[in-house]
Amino acid sequence: MNTKSITYILGWILKIEAAFMSLPILTALIYGEEQGWTFVLVMALCLLCGALLTGRKPKNPSFYAREAFVATALGWIVMSAFGCIPFVLTGEIPRFIDALFETVSGFTTTGASIMPDVEIMSHCSMIWRCFTHWIGGMGVLVFLLAVLPMVGGSNMHLMKAESPGPSVGKLVPKVRFTAQILYRLYIVLTVAEFVFLLLGKMDPYEALCTAFGTAGTGGFGVKNSSIGGYSPYIQWVVTVFMILFGVNFNVYFLLLMCKFRDAFHCEEMRWYLTVIAAATLLIFANAYDAALTVENNLRIAAFQVASIITTTGYSTADFQLWPEFSKTILVMLMFVGACAGSTGGGLKVSRFVIAAKSLRAYLVSFLHPRAVHKVKFEGKSVEEDTLRAVQLYFVTVIFIVAASVLLVSLDNFDLITTFTAVTATFNNIGPGLNGVGPTSNFAAFGDLSKCVMIFDMLAGRLEIFPLLMLLYPPLWRESISESRRRKRRRASAMGTDA
Amino acid sequence: MQANTAKVKPGRLHIIIVGCGKVGHTLTEQLVREGHDVTIVDVSERVIRDTAEVYDVMGIRGNGASLNVLMEAGLKEADLIIAVTGSDELNLLCCTIAKKAGGELAAIARVRNPDYAEELPYLRQQLGLSMIINPELEAAREIARLLSRPQALTVSAFAKGHAELVRFKIPSGNVLCGRSIMQLDNLFRFGYLVCAVERDGSVSIPSGSFVLHEGDDITILASSHDVHCIFDSIGMRGQAVKSCMIIGGGKSSYYLAKQLLEQKLEVKIIESNRQRCEELSTLLPEALVICGDGGDEELLKEEGIGSAEAFVPLTGLDEENILLTLYAKRIPGLKTITKINRITFNDVIDGLELGSVVYPKYITSEAIIAYVRARQNSIGSNVETLYHMFDNRVEAIEFHVKKDAPVCGVPLMQLRKKDHLLIACINRGGRIIFPRGQDAIMEGDSVIIVTTHTGFGDISDILR
Repeated sequence: MNTKSITYILGWILKIEAAFMSLPILTALIYGEEQGWTFVLVMALCLLCGALLTGRKPKNPSFYAREAFVATALGWIVMSAFGCIPFVLTGEIPRFIDALFETVSGFTTTGASIMPDVEIMSHCSMIWRCFTHWIGGMGVLVFLLAVLPMVGGSNMHLMKAESPGPSVGKLVPKVRFTAQILYRLYIVLTVAEFVFLLLGKMDPYEALCTAFGTAGTGGFGVKNSSIGGYSPYIQWVVTVFMILFGVNFNVYFLLLMCKFRDAFHCEEMRWYLTVIAAATLLIFANAYDAALTVENNLRIAAFQVASIITTTGYSTADFQLWPEFSKTILVMLMFVGACAGSTGGGLKVSRFVIAAKSLRAYLVSFLHPRAVHKVKFEGKSVEEDTLRAVQLYFVTVIFIVAASVLLVSLDNFDLITTFTAVTATFNNIGPGLNGVGPTSNFAAFGDLSKCVMIFDMLAGRLEIFPLLMLLYPPLWRESISESRRRKRRRASAMGTDA
Repeated sequence: MQANTAKVKPGRLHIIIVGCGKVGHTLTEQLVREGHDVTIVDVSERVIRDTAEVYDVMGIRGNGASLNVLMEAGLKEADLIIAVTGSDELNLLCCTIAKKAGGELAAIARVRNPDYAEELPYLRQQLGLSMIINPELEAAREIARLLSRPQALTVSAFAKGHAELVRFKIPSGNVLCGRSIMQLDNLFRFGYLVCAVERDGSVSIPSGSFVLHEGDDITILASSHDVHCIFDSIGMRGQAVKSCMIIGGGKSSYYLAKQLLEQKLEVKIIESNRQRCEELSTLLPEALVICGDGGDEELLKEEGIGSAEAFVPLTGLDEENILLTLYAKRIPGLKTITKINRITFNDVIDGLELGSVVYPKYITSEAIIAYVRARQNSIGSNVETLYHMFDNRVEAIEFHVKKDAPVCGVPLMQLRKKDHLLIACINRGGRIIFPRGQDAIMEGDSVIIVTTHTGFGDISDILR
């Protein structure tokens, strides 16, 4: 394994994180907060470590899928580990494990918090907490690919490892420009939401934090009441933008290229919107509160459905008090998730559509054993490899969720709390039900459970396999014996030279 | 996307390559290295995936002659389409459709079938193609050129054949051994230039004090009619080959035999397929066609390999070609030329000391890259020919200089040139000039530059 290239990428991730930390520092300057110094300190630390790791450009450019997986998984861990230091130093989250949980929750755009009261946080820490959502939403490696011209190797592996979805494609022939286009779209949409929020007379600082949270489909709120305290206009704006950020970004690229017909024919987006509409109507009917207006009821239902399916996790109402049917719909939506190639989490609509279609193909094969039935998606037949990957993904999710539920159950909470806590973290949503409902938080869990959920959040964001790869012993065994062999060969070559 | 293009090198082209076989793959590799946006189209999902994993390109699965597929590959924004699928007709259809549907786009098709060989200029004109490439024919031309200069390892033609770049290995005990480049003037009483020397795997553009050793791989540029004088003056006398034995009767064998017969050489073709033998015999009545297995040592002996002058294995299998060459090398004085289509173990092939090796896929891609570079910067000059030497470490490029080029009329000694670069020679209306410091490049000249830099697309690139 090419460890030099991996550490080089890790170094760049740290440098980029340092650059991103200028935002909280700027905030601290504006509000005159002394917590800003901790960010300056951590920024310097990131720069130093980054510079050390990127000191020498690796000579060997070979970079394959395994290197990309390891670099991605390690990158996210390193980024979170450094990103949580300010919270510990400012004393706002004194325990390291809690700070790490909060930061991982931020970067993975989960939005699950261990903070009982977020309103006491300083402005600079708060904006960093929300900004992690924005960074994690599109992914830091995609950002790296966009700004750093990397020579040689197949950078597409890096993009594939970080971007969600069963098959990651390019928009334009070059990875670098694909990444740039994605970030450009991302920035434009974020700014658009910010402007709409400002028009709703929202405080600019809160509008920025909310825009970051929505863009990354994260869900850290600035207020304890999340979005519930804001005007109906703002709630609608956030609803619409949550749905927009859950759409495959390829659609926006097609719109940009004036290929409107192709854009509206996107099969995944159609299913995604259908599910949203159906779920909203069902919850609207089931959880109808006669005390409120029709608009209010619809707004609450639509907001919550959008918030859960895009895996954002904002809330305007305490859905803990809803009827069981509505709550069950929400839990199911947690698994469905947003579209592939969006900033949302979950299992992705496309995986469900492909799985359902392959199930149908399987049934057809019973009816007509010799029938040849290719599964088609987005107008193209799906390759066997992709089908297998989709099916394996579902199986792996079951394994991981089951194992996590088992471990978290050691904390002795009721099954709904335990199950939804794992579901909400694994699918990067945030709030669950009962003990982790929209008005509660994750502070009550023990350290083991928090570690398990940190793993779940990362696994959910990076689509499991990079993280599993990291825990797969043969990878390390092979690379250790490989480096040993190389050393021995070098030694013997030196011997013959002498 | 338009916003992006502004940021990068202005000449970044969007190129669609249809068909990703040997030539398509080589082209993808080279064009990506030159920084272009490449989209590949192939019918096989596996080929697409394998290529897109190694190179930074976009892959589209489908039939390259289908308009829908081409549209998906970005035909509207494309600057160039190169059709190199296995089928000539498909390539031509694909280019025709692309020309009709696309905007300002150039098309290059590969056409290999000898049936069309005579009609290529007509096809090119009628279909509006920029270029038709025929790797087999090009390879045959290069082999024929090598047979007329059997001492050289490679011969590259410039200035429409007026100048030649020959590469050879200095044999032991040769007069060149121990001489510095400056002292060569006493030997050669005509215009010449030593362009590059490879020693122990490293290539350099030698200065005047560079001392040559035995075993050096040396490249000399000279006017075509002086090339034989070089070999005469250093005692590497050698007649042009008069007879040639070709193993295998494929397309390249046909093209080579045809060309050699036109030059009045004796040609013997050994081909195992009876039917193909009959076809060849009809097409090439003057050639001696032998039906038999070229891999059979007894047959080779019977057909007189021991007394042959030149031996060219052109079977479809690289391994067989290499093995046959290794066998033929044991016969002293036999000139062998090996064609390698597919194998990529360059280091191993170099280590085998096969003598002259011809790579059709590189010949093709060099021609296309010369075209692409010319299209990219057509302001001050045009790339006429381009050769990669020593595994792409050295480039020899011929520029046609137009009026507005900044180098025009300035004495060479006053140009602020880059290092590692030679202005090798100037072709002024068919007269080859080996320039000195006070000479200047003029409008209408074609200038040959030898350099270890890569990616020169315009004559002004030689300036700092």
